[in-house]
Amino acid sequence: MGVIKVNHLRKTYRRLVAVDDVSFDVEAGEIFGILGPNGAGKTTTVECIQGLRRPDAGAIQVLGLDPTTQAAQLRQRIGSQLQDSSLPGRLRVAEAIDLFAAFARHPVDRDELLARWRLDDLRAQAFDNLSGGQRQRLFIALAFVNSPEVVFLDELTQGLDPQTRRATWELIREIRQGGMTVVLVTHFMDEAEHLCDRIAVVDHGRIVALDTPQRLINGLGLPSVVRFSTSEPDLGWLEKLDAVESMARDGESIELRGTGPVLALVASELVAHQIVPSDLQVERPTLEDAFLALTGQEVRR
Amino acid sequence: MTTMHGYLAMSRTEFRLFRREPFSVVFVLAFPLMMMVLLAAVFGNNQAKAGEIQNGMLVWRGVTPANYYTAASVAVIVAAIGLMTLPITLTSYRERGILRRFRASSVPPWILVSALLTVALATFVAGTLVMALVARLAYHAMLPKDFLGVAVALLAGTAAFGAIGLLLATLLRTSRSAQGIGLMLFFALWLISGTAPPRAVLPTGLRDVGSALPLTHLVTAVQNAWFGFGWAGADLAVLAAYAIAAGLPALWLFSRD
Repeated sequence: MGVIKVNHLRKTYRRLVAVDDVSFDVEAGEIFGILGPNGAGKTTTVECIQGLRRPDAGAIQVLGLDPTTQAAQLRQRIGSQLQDSSLPGRLRVAEAIDLFAAFARHPVDRDELLARWRLDDLRAQAFDNLSGGQRQRLFIALAFVNSPEVVFLDELTQGLDPQTRRATWELIREIRQGGMTVVLVTHFMDEAEHLCDRIAVVDHGRIVALDTPQRLINGLGLPSVVRFSTSEPDLGWLEKLDAVESMARDGESIELRGTGPVLALVASELVAHQIVPSDLQVERPTLEDAFLALTGQEVRR
Repeated sequence: MTTMHGYLAMSRTEFRLFRREPFSVVFVLAFPLMMMVLLAAVFGNNQAKAGEIQNGMLVWRGVTPANYYTAASVAVIVAAIGLMTLPITLTSYRERGILRRFRASSVPPWILVSALLTVALATFVAGTLVMALVARLAYHAMLPKDFLGVAVALLAGTAAFGAIGLLLATLLRTSRSAQGIGLMLFFALWLISGTAPPRAVLPTGLRDVGSALPLTHLVTAVQNAWFGFGWAGADLAVLAAYAIAAGLPALWLFSRD
């Protein structure tokens, strides 16, 4: 069942085409990632879906509602953590939660929300006195204040320290267990890979690929890199293996590129030749490699 | 249900924020109070002055200067909030992404505006009481003769200056420009609306400009009720006209922001 249906969405700002013919569906209960470099049109896309921007063309349906004409009804049922937003500087954490809860038809329990996002100790802190990570946690908490059915998280872990990032991922997974649909906008590869069930890779306002993280990586047939050290001078027989595409040597360090079960094949061949390197390792292609191959560019940060 | 609940929560929030921002309280309340105290000290509370005539007008509208400035300075509080506090608050909310944050969480823009006007109205009531009390203690000035009339005048002033403030907030895109333009407008109005020099001493041209501007009419409306001259119907009507003329485009622009 599609919770979000986007068909041929287009949005331009004067002469800049921000989103160009984007279509995708998000299923109920999945964590759907929108991954792309800065300026790829990710935020514009989700802002159109939330009814915060009016698309130039295309049709959007969220929970059966049209965000351009039924925004008020829709916003009661979705939660959003926006990029580049803020709160009045002297508003305190608990007051902010209370304020936004007052506009929710089904507000969640404040204390539970504060505890979940580790904000209990910050209740009486003014927004201006919060650190970047604390603000981020408050915004995430605010996204959940109205018990949403779909939640939009734009740059979820921006400004969070590594431990908090991991903890946040855990919480998002937990929330999904409760049946909530999550749309995650990110430019962090590891976040998309760890968290998302499916990912739309967006570049220059278009979707260049849409699949599960694993299939995105596998589908491109990207090489794994196998590394080990040996003093054995002649390794020509390794290069003859079908799985091996290329071999490079720097002194005793060997680097092989190949696809499929290249590690297993190389390892058994090495053992058969009585070479047992203790530093044999493999680097499998990551989402980042897939991303670079798909967009043909470095991750702009 | 949700709307009323939201309005109350937003009003409570804005009230707290107003209280926590000492500068805005100081300026919008203390400046008019200070001016009343100083101007009344300069011109005194001598009954003989009540009959003074210049340019064919009663300089002090038939009351003593202290009484004149007490009522006029209440109107100044309204102008200060409308021309400065409101546009500065709203433009900085827009600039910092607070409006976007509210909009994404089903907070209607007009609830925020209503809450800000509610806080403004509460401030006017408090400011009026303080003004009346200080003038009474310092100069034996009169207390308002017609409380209801003063309240109606303040309501009309809130509508007019609230609308002008909202319009400024939609036309000015940054809080810096809102500060500059707001301050300039405020002082220009303050000087030619009978709130600083009485209108009778102004040159004809300036007096005519002042007659077209809302603060002059608010001053008259507040003073008439305060001194027991009856309600100033024509002035209240001008304020209502300002409220509609500025308010309708402002609300339309603001909700599209």
